Amino acid sequence: MAETEQQQPEPAATEASELLRPTLITGGKTPADVTRDICAPMEGRPTALWWGALSISLTALLAGVVAVTYQIAMGIGTWGLNRTVGWAFDITNFVFWVGIGHAGTLISAVLFLFRQKWRTSVNRSAEAMTLFAVVCAGLFPVIHMGRPWLAFWMAPYPNTRGSLWINFKSPLLWDVFAISTYLLISAVFWYIGLIPDLATIRDRSKPGWRKSLAGIFSLGWVGSARTWHRYETVYMLLAGLATPLVFSVHTIVSMDFATAIIPGWHTTIFPPYFVAGAIFSGLAMVLTLMIIARKVMQLENYITVLHIETMCKLMLSMGCIVGLAYGTEFFIAAFSGNPYEQFVFLNRAAGPFSWAYWTMVSCNVMIPQLLWFRPLRRNIAFVFLISIVVNIGMWFERFVIIVTSLHRDFLPSSWADYTPTIIEITTLIGSFGLFFSCFLLFCRFLPTIAMAEVKGVLKNPRRAAKQDSSKGDAA
Amino acid sequence: MPRPTAPYATTRFVKRIRMTPLSKNTPSNNDSSQGQLPIVEAAGPLLEESLAISRRRFLEAAGFSLSLAAMSGCGRAPVETALPSPIQPVGAIPGQLQYYASTCAGCPSACGLLVGTRDGRPLKMEGLPGHPLSSGGLCAVGQALPIGLYDSHRLTGPLSAGKPAQWTTLDQEIVQTLKQINEKQTAIRFVTPTITSPTLKANIDAFLAPFEDSKHIVFDAVSSSAILDAHEQTHSTRVLPHYRFDRAEVVVSFGADFLGTWISPVEFTSDWSTRRVPSEQVPEMSYHVQFESRMSLTGTNADLRVAIHPQDQGPLIAQLTEKVSKLAGISLSEPLSPNIVDRHESALAELAQRLWNGRGKCLVVSDSQDVGVQRLVNATNHMLGNYESTLGLQRPSRQRQGNDRDVEQLVEELRAGKVGALLVADVDLLHDLAGQQTLVDAIDRVPLTISFSQREDEFATLAKYICPDHHPLESWSDAEPVDGLISLAQPTLQPLGDTRSVLESLAAWSARPTTAYEALQTHWKEAIFPRRQAETPNQFITFWEKSLQDGFIETRGAGTVVSDFDTSVIKPLAQQTTTNDFSLVLYNKVSMPDARHAHNPWLHELPDPVTKVTWGNYVGVSSNDARELGLVDGDIVQVAAGNEAPLLELPVLVQVGQHDQVLTVALAYGCKGTDRFAKIGPQWFEARPTVEENELVGKNAAPFVEFRNGTMQHTRSTVTLTKTGKRRDLASTQLYNSLEVPPEVAPHGAERREIVQHTTLAAFAKDSHAGAAVHHHETGAQLWPEDHAKTGHAWGMVIDLNKCTGCSACVIACQSENNVPVVGYDEVRRQREMHWMRIDRYFTGEGEAMSIDHQPMMCQHCDNAPCETVCPVLATVHSSEGLNEQVYNRCVGTRYCANNCPYKVRRFNWFKYEHDDSLQNLVLNPEVTVRSRGVMEKCSMCVQRIEAGKIEARSQGLPVADGTIQTACQQSCPANAIVFGDMNDTESKIHAALENPRRYEVLEELNVRPSVSYLRVVKNEDEEPHRG
Repeated sequence: MAETEQQQPEPAATEASELLRPTLITGGKTPADVTRDICAPMEGRPTALWWGALSISLTALLAGVVAVTYQIAMGIGTWGLNRTVGWAFDITNFVFWVGIGHAGTLISAVLFLFRQKWRTSVNRSAEAMTLFAVVCAGLFPVIHMGRPWLAFWMAPYPNTRGSLWINFKSPLLWDVFAISTYLLISAVFWYIGLIPDLATIRDRSKPGWRKSLAGIFSLGWVGSARTWHRYETVYMLLAGLATPLVFSVHTIVSMDFATAIIPGWHTTIFPPYFVAGAIFSGLAMVLTLMIIARKVMQLENYITVLHIETMCKLMLSMGCIVGLAYGTEFFIAAFSGNPYEQFVFLNRAAGPFSWAYWTMVSCNVMIPQLLWFRPLRRNIAFVFLISIVVNIGMWFERFVIIVTSLHRDFLPSSWADYTPTIIEITTLIGSFGLFFSCFLLFCRFLPTIAMAEVKGVLKNPRRAAKQDSSKGDAA
Repeated sequence: MPRPTAPYATTRFVKRIRMTPLSKNTPSNNDSSQGQLPIVEAAGPLLEESLAISRRRFLEAAGFSLSLAAMSGCGRAPVETALPSPIQPVGAIPGQLQYYASTCAGCPSACGLLVGTRDGRPLKMEGLPGHPLSSGGLCAVGQALPIGLYDSHRLTGPLSAGKPAQWTTLDQEIVQTLKQINEKQTAIRFVTPTITSPTLKANIDAFLAPFEDSKHIVFDAVSSSAILDAHEQTHSTRVLPHYRFDRAEVVVSFGADFLGTWISPVEFTSDWSTRRVPSEQVPEMSYHVQFESRMSLTGTNADLRVAIHPQDQGPLIAQLTEKVSKLAGISLSEPLSPNIVDRHESALAELAQRLWNGRGKCLVVSDSQDVGVQRLVNATNHMLGNYESTLGLQRPSRQRQGNDRDVEQLVEELRAGKVGALLVADVDLLHDLAGQQTLVDAIDRVPLTISFSQREDEFATLAKYICPDHHPLESWSDAEPVDGLISLAQPTLQPLGDTRSVLESLAAWSARPTTAYEALQTHWKEAIFPRRQAETPNQFITFWEKSLQDGFIETRGAGTVVSDFDTSVIKPLAQQTTTNDFSLVLYNKVSMPDARHAHNPWLHELPDPVTKVTWGNYVGVSSNDARELGLVDGDIVQVAAGNEAPLLELPVLVQVGQHDQVLTVALAYGCKGTDRFAKIGPQWFEARPTVEENELVGKNAAPFVEFRNGTMQHTRSTVTLTKTGKRRDLASTQLYNSLEVPPEVAPHGAERREIVQHTTLAAFAKDSHAGAAVHHHETGAQLWPEDHAKTGHAWGMVIDLNKCTGCSACVIACQSENNVPVVGYDEVRRQREMHWMRIDRYFTGEGEAMSIDHQPMMCQHCDNAPCETVCPVLATVHSSEGLNEQVYNRCVGTRYCANNCPYKVRRFNWFKYEHDDSLQNLVLNPEVTVRSRGVMEKCSMCVQRIEAGKIEARSQGLPVADGTIQTACQQSCPANAIVFGDMNDTESKIHAALENPRRYEVLEELNVRPSVSYLRVVKNEDEEPHRG
């Protein structure tokens, strides 16, 4: 790749360049090693650990399917909602998963545009994660409907029902477009990035289903300079296209709330606040998955402490933005002089759901402050713990926004409580089951790390290139 | 080919029922009662003659003769199609609502009733406009009659010893037994609750006449016996005065819940509310003081509410009497009460002065069942010159006739085995006298026991024969609630089962078989017609027809002889022993006036106007006591009276405003057979049953009722309260009860929400806009130009909160009109009640300074509706007439609209609510869609009524006249608190109401521009309001 060639390090300058540009891939890997290491999990028999993880995920998924089937058969009444709290777990889960789905595009597109080389080790799985998270997210707006079988009415399709049309004023409709666009672009972006690697798999595989499928989906990749050139142009263009989506999707999701009249929802700070939150939670989820994946699939040399530390820094900065947003909300409530707004925020902090609020603040703002300390950032176990904490915190953030704002709104006569039912909890577990099942299958059948891109950031590309050509590797 | 519609379906029925519609279409036209519609004999002479033949026989015969005629013509006419609706119902247009003037039989108040029938089905109960007592209002109980009619658990035929029997065999057996009783000269007792029907009363008397030892015993489960007894002593006639709250400028009530349950609440609400409208020109209104130990609906509406211990009621009345007598210059030889309550001395002194200033125009009432206390009440009213002004004795009320002494005597007779025959109609003797031990055995020993109950209640199960009466909507009857006001009740459909009117049963057993219709007409001809007034028709048939068409007729009184007030009976009260134990106060809930309504799911699910709790009764405990005992809502406690039997386990409800050391439990619960409601509402794995296993809806508190000095006591001193450690959540529709937000989360300066605005009469007199909330928001300017100008109609509503008592009649009116489902205990507990109209009730502040508000809340039909913009599929849209419309078919159920509704009036169909009972489904209004699961619904402002009114006006080529379209809630409001109409019509009532200085919009500051607005509450207080 063009850039890597410009940066061939002189032996004498190695130390200096180590300072300027740290080694991203350790273990002195050659491109051949890269191909071998990354394809290994696909080619060998899955480990017991993988089987175990998959069976847990599938069990969770199955439980979720049972819960959702029961809910669709009986009615939304099987959830703990009531006349006052019309959304709770459903939309919390939706926003949570959409948020998770943000890191993927951020890492692959935004960091690509900013020439952040370290992204190469994580972008593939981050993108896959995005895709699966968006699928999980997309599920909730459908199942949360009273009549989910009519979900297609949300689409502006030509119909014979006279002037019956959709309401372009409704933020829920904007969601439909935002999410579907995001899913589409993410999927395309992910697939385009996969093409060189699919070609590698095609070339390595023995004749069989894997070879033929990889053959079809690698679209006749030959690895010529012209192919590479077009590929990179397309990738760059798609990155440019995907970048605004990172910001638009959650902006629009936030408008579900911001355009509503309910105090606690009706806030102009929501778009940036939600985007930062989404990236925050997405990074946390990427970290969770990466830390597991590098261990399970022996990818320690590819996903190094450096990667984890960099992501921690990014996560810390996002956590601080989120913290600032929490503070701003309180300040604006006090400053606005709007008694309903003031009440909602006092009620969050000291009302019946204050436990959820303080869980959110501790998980999202306080605990991540520990990441200021370098040794902690580089402590894998600790970072894993933090990433889980942030995931919990971000789930509660959405819960707090939705439930505490709704449960006590304008007329005190309508104030109500909310307690989730088993069905709701199982549905949440089921969505995790779906997510992890998809991710584990992805790990098994597709290269979790973008081989072609990683090869570009190896320290000794010359040697690598020689070996590659002798092997006839397409990459 | 339309089938003949139900009421006219059989020839037999034609004879029994001739219904006379009040007017063609709308009940609201005042001129409609002038009778444009001639009364047409429903059946021609042919049918009159062929009464004996069955419908099938008739059709056969008619078909045969018609086919013969046809065949002689051309020889091939199809017979079946030759008989289209042979008996066309009078004036009936298929699918159109027809109204019949009738009388409500929900309780002995006998309010005027309009029965809305459609295609032969009575569907909607409304108040009869222009009725002298109820003035067009109707309470929740009256509104809920239809669901009792279409009840598949009602008895469909007579039972003999618990087994289905034939009327003929049963009659023979009964006549035989009666003959023996007559020969042996054993006692025969006929027990009924208060009967306002002169015909039934006369027939019972006639039935009992041949027997040597016979007696008609009037047993009211909650009686006013002491008032009647006191008048017997003070005025030498055992009568109940006709209270006139519309004439009272000062009302003092000691415990009498006259707006909720006492004697004739609809009438009293209507009367009381006429005095609650201060205007700019005349800033005057009545002054209402309530002394009470529990929190009653009336107490919540009083200008001054004083919580008292039940044992203080007598002394306080005595002290008031003393003070009034001092003002009247009458010296009393001795103090009237040995017990003195000095806590309210100054309040009483002030009150006495106010009463004295308003003498002749004030009223003192009490619900005390102590004759001595009632005598003092009479004395007070007498000294104040209220008799024949605010209390009518010349034309007394007949709405409560219960004689507790007779009941007590009956119990003794039964125990002594002296009764040979016991006939019980309309009351469950065993349920309501559950405190009388060994009564079951005693009744079992009675040779002949007959129940006329529509259900197998406790007494009926024990009775030898059950001769089920018709549902009131199936039978002919009449009522004379107040001397000289006689109303008729006409059947509106053929009896659904093989039931029989009590009148007919009695006639059959006294060997004068007749139909109820004939019995009624005979009695009217003989006894009522002679009492006619000069201006009424002097031909019986026109007199009868006019009464039938109007629903009521005013005649001369029956001639009650009342002697002058006998001052000698004013005696001091007996010495009371004061206790520090709990006292138990038994009462009736507004929704459950007696055990007959225990099978009515609408009434069970009606939130109590004061507590907002549905499904079952509970023990009300004052907030101080609850705090001391560590009780919270839903903790099950044991209430016991001494060590003897009465024992009750019920959940606790903490009631602010209730006097300490007082427990309250509602009567008329725990009725036999109510376990049928166990599975009402959606059944899913987490659903809790509405009725726990082996239990009933609520518990029967009647065991605590005891006889003392010849009256039934509904308060009982010295009861104990024990915690059980068990819990059952109360199904309450309101969890937070104050307009003040919780102090720990209250923003500074916004502790109280100005949702219900208040002012005092003093402030109002100075400034009619007093009490308006001060907003810092400018809501005049609009971001966008008016994009849907309402050039035609603009429907709107104004609710006068000063008139609204919170009685909740509108809630059931709406439920009945709009097919609102019953969802059961568990769904209500989960805050998923479906009522489109609710009454928000707030207790703000504490003690006597507490302000209690009722606020009817339904869809506000906002111009800038927040729900409309957020629906992704345009399922909720704005009409060109200002209505916010919900399109059920289009709704996918995202619930976004409900979330975004600031008034939280939208209701979501969480489940597919039960519609399996095909008989019960007859109650559904065909004009309104039955919503499927997963869709949102809400108040439509009765759009079906609006459209019907518009169509009617268009068909006559006239503009829609103001008042011709009435919403269901407005129609039956006893207080007339709701004004609905076209805001664009400058001549309309609503247009005037919009100009009212008291008008405000709830959450005006949000600029959602609601079409519903409210008139501020004005309390008759002198000082400035506590808050802005």
